[in-house]
Amino acid sequence: MRFPLRFEARTDSPKYLSAAVPVISIIAALVVGAVFLLATGYAPIETYQEMLKGGFTTFYGITDTLGLSTVLIFTGVAAAFAFQMNLYNIGGEGQLYLGMIGGAWAGLAFGDSLPSAIAIPVVLLMGALFGALWIVVPAIVRSKLGTSEIVTTLLLTYVALNLMNYFIYTSSSFFRDESTTGFPQGRPLPESATIEAFGSTRVYPTFFLAVVVALVLFWIVKRTEYGYRIQVIADSPRAAQYAGISAQRTTLSVMMISGALAGLAGSALIVGPFEKLDISITTMGYGYAGIVVAALARYNFVAIIISAILFAGLRTGGDKLQITSDTPVHIGVILQGAVLLFALGGEIFRRYRLRVVRQQQQAVAS
Amino acid sequence: MSNTSHEVVQGPHHESGAASVALSAHHITKRFPGVVANCNVDFDIRRGEVHTLLGENGAGKSTLAAILCGLYQPDEGYLTRNGSVISLPSPRAGLAHGIAMVHQHFRLVERFTVAENVVLGSSDLSFRLKTKDLNDKVAAVADSYGLPIDPTAVIGDLSVGQRQRVEIVKALYQGAEILLLDEPTAVLVPAEVEKLFDNVRAMTASGKSIVFISHKLGEVVEISDRVTVLRNGEVTGSVEGRGSASTADLANLMVGRHVDLSVQRAEHPIGHEVLQVRNLSLTVNGVKRLDNITFNVHEGEMVGIAGVAGNGQKELADVIAGLTSPTSGTIAIQGVFTTDLGPIKAREAGLAYVPEDRLGMGLVPSMSILDNLLLTRKRDVIVDRGSVRPEAARLIEQFEIKANGPEHVARKLSGGNAQKVLLARELSGGRTPTALLVVCSPTRGLDVGAIETVRRLIDDARSAGQAVLLISEDLDEILSLSDRILVLYRGAIVHETPGESAHIETVGAAMAGLSK
Repeated sequence: MRFPLRFEARTDSPKYLSAAVPVISIIAALVVGAVFLLATGYAPIETYQEMLKGGFTTFYGITDTLGLSTVLIFTGVAAAFAFQMNLYNIGGEGQLYLGMIGGAWAGLAFGDSLPSAIAIPVVLLMGALFGALWIVVPAIVRSKLGTSEIVTTLLLTYVALNLMNYFIYTSSSFFRDESTTGFPQGRPLPESATIEAFGSTRVYPTFFLAVVVALVLFWIVKRTEYGYRIQVIADSPRAAQYAGISAQRTTLSVMMISGALAGLAGSALIVGPFEKLDISITTMGYGYAGIVVAALARYNFVAIIISAILFAGLRTGGDKLQITSDTPVHIGVILQGAVLLFALGGEIFRRYRLRVVRQQQQAVAS
Repeated sequence: MSNTSHEVVQGPHHESGAASVALSAHHITKRFPGVVANCNVDFDIRRGEVHTLLGENGAGKSTLAAILCGLYQPDEGYLTRNGSVISLPSPRAGLAHGIAMVHQHFRLVERFTVAENVVLGSSDLSFRLKTKDLNDKVAAVADSYGLPIDPTAVIGDLSVGQRQRVEIVKALYQGAEILLLDEPTAVLVPAEVEKLFDNVRAMTASGKSIVFISHKLGEVVEISDRVTVLRNGEVTGSVEGRGSASTADLANLMVGRHVDLSVQRAEHPIGHEVLQVRNLSLTVNGVKRLDNITFNVHEGEMVGIAGVAGNGQKELADVIAGLTSPTSGTIAIQGVFTTDLGPIKAREAGLAYVPEDRLGMGLVPSMSILDNLLLTRKRDVIVDRGSVRPEAARLIEQFEIKANGPEHVARKLSGGNAQKVLLARELSGGRTPTALLVVCSPTRGLDVGAIETVRRLIDDARSAGQAVLLISEDLDEILSLSDRILVLYRGAIVHETPGESAHIETVGAAMAGLSK
């Protein structure tokens, strides 16, 4: 007896699947999360309800969600931009650390002597520059030698992590706050290099910057010559060669921009809530979350805004849950991983469809 | 050519008659999303017969063959083997019933020997391979069908024709009684085709049945005992008896109207030199791909480059188009040296290039016709699609491209329409008006109707005074279109002849490396 289901190639991928796959991925991830909740003795439905409430219903829930989504939009577009050319920048996390380091350095070094209108952009851009420089070696070896950027960018994240530790914990560090006698802390940036959140919320103006950046990237890919080249190379490198489009140069620049965007995520945190180098960033995993955000949005820059907000909501809800009940915060991490797996796995349904195979004998008899 | 052997083969088949139907398909219908690939098709194959499945691309012959060997399952209809109903859920099940397919693209492991490839997939192998026994067994099977082959040879060292023989031996070794040969001659030189046909006759003489899938009419007439013609998934006709069908009749059945593939060589003046190639050599990884090539192409002249695939045609085209830098030698287009300067400079000098690989090199599959038109043109920093759209619409109309407009995605075009888009772009000039048109295998894989159009478009370009370099493995195409023919063998030009007085035998021999 054969399994009566088979995959058949689709000749055409219907439009509704573009929306259905992400939605079903999330539902499937919630089911997987429910299994873990049940196994550890929590009620899944109630837990999810609490999470939704915590992330999306109250005023502070919503504003916390939007605030958190800022960094996820940046890391999301960073991953998505590289993916426009089928490049996997897995090292957004490390580039984000470097963005923080670069931003903090600029703020500490120049913040006092510059007005806010200049200091803040300088901090942001320095973060982008550091992020771009952190990916320059992977970008060169990828474009010249074809070395897998997945490995190089990921490994550099561990270097970045230790660089963070070094800059915060070394007593002679430029970044170290010497006024504290307790646990080592980063030195706070001067006020002129930081910005205020809106009212009593945790939403910073950088949220709008993130949205604008996402929209601009969307426009670049769809409407500019640069975006055209990216699309040609992504789809068929041989056609690019045929048309005299240099895949090497474009690979280099696309990866550098991707790194700059992840770096911008870091420096946006520096002007936003952190205002100093803070080791707690290394436990947040915003860089990795960006990959999931991008995958769920199918690497569409506009959809990334939505998926980042959704993800931020899940995490905000999860955090609130841990405060109000004893549910472990790691349910959020499980959900994040499960969403990525289902979103990537769901891609197969865009190219294939399941077909019920009738038995041949029945077909003859009828 | 080999009339004697054909009489011998045909004898026993005629005596056996319709009683010995080995495999038949009844009322087969197979649908794919949006298309009916086979519609109520009846087909049968007798023992010891060559039955040809003829049709254009997309006519449904590959689908029917896939159903016959178990690769696809029909939506309606059923198969009978020796009169009893069978179901073939997989190619393995097909093999169990003695049905095997020899695919157009060989499925051989290059590093393995012939014998290792032949026994691959056999279920009766011992854990430790007894190499000598296997070699003897494979050689015995091969010899019994007159297919001499060295079982210890490594596949990577074999020619295309020999590899095909390995595929056939493999099918026979696995006990195939019915062999489906999918476009088997597409990759062969004339001499190899003759050898294949001898093998086919030897196999049918010993009672095997051959389903021959092809769209080359001349061969079909030569080898077939019976021909069934498919069009749009339906059987449009069946012709019994070898030699009783003419190519013209079959072409009409295939296309549904009268076609004329012979281009009238128009009288046209040959002007100044457009392409000049001097002492061109290319060595890749120590292998000489192009060997001191010198020739030129003039205004209003079509030069045909004949040769078996892999003798340097692709390299020659890529070097002229500026995609590869030659090891030595020069290229000049309209007096401008473009050697080493890249494709954009070559285009600025007047080059247009239609590569063999239409979708994936000439066209970007996921992009629209409009965006594909932009591929070889000068683009502004912000791409202004609006200003190109009217031109795209005009070209679609002018070149009779079947598409839903400029936004139609290239991947969803048929082969013929994709080729027309490519020609439309290249002929309409991008950076500079086209002076030199380099076309590689322009009609490969196209249906008869599209072949007619594409050849006419290329011929029109020549008549309009463009220099045309036609690189094709289709010898008939080269012979019927070219003003001058050059034969490429192992990267060198081994033969040159004017198109009008060219003989297929001489050119064919040169292609096989037999001249001089």
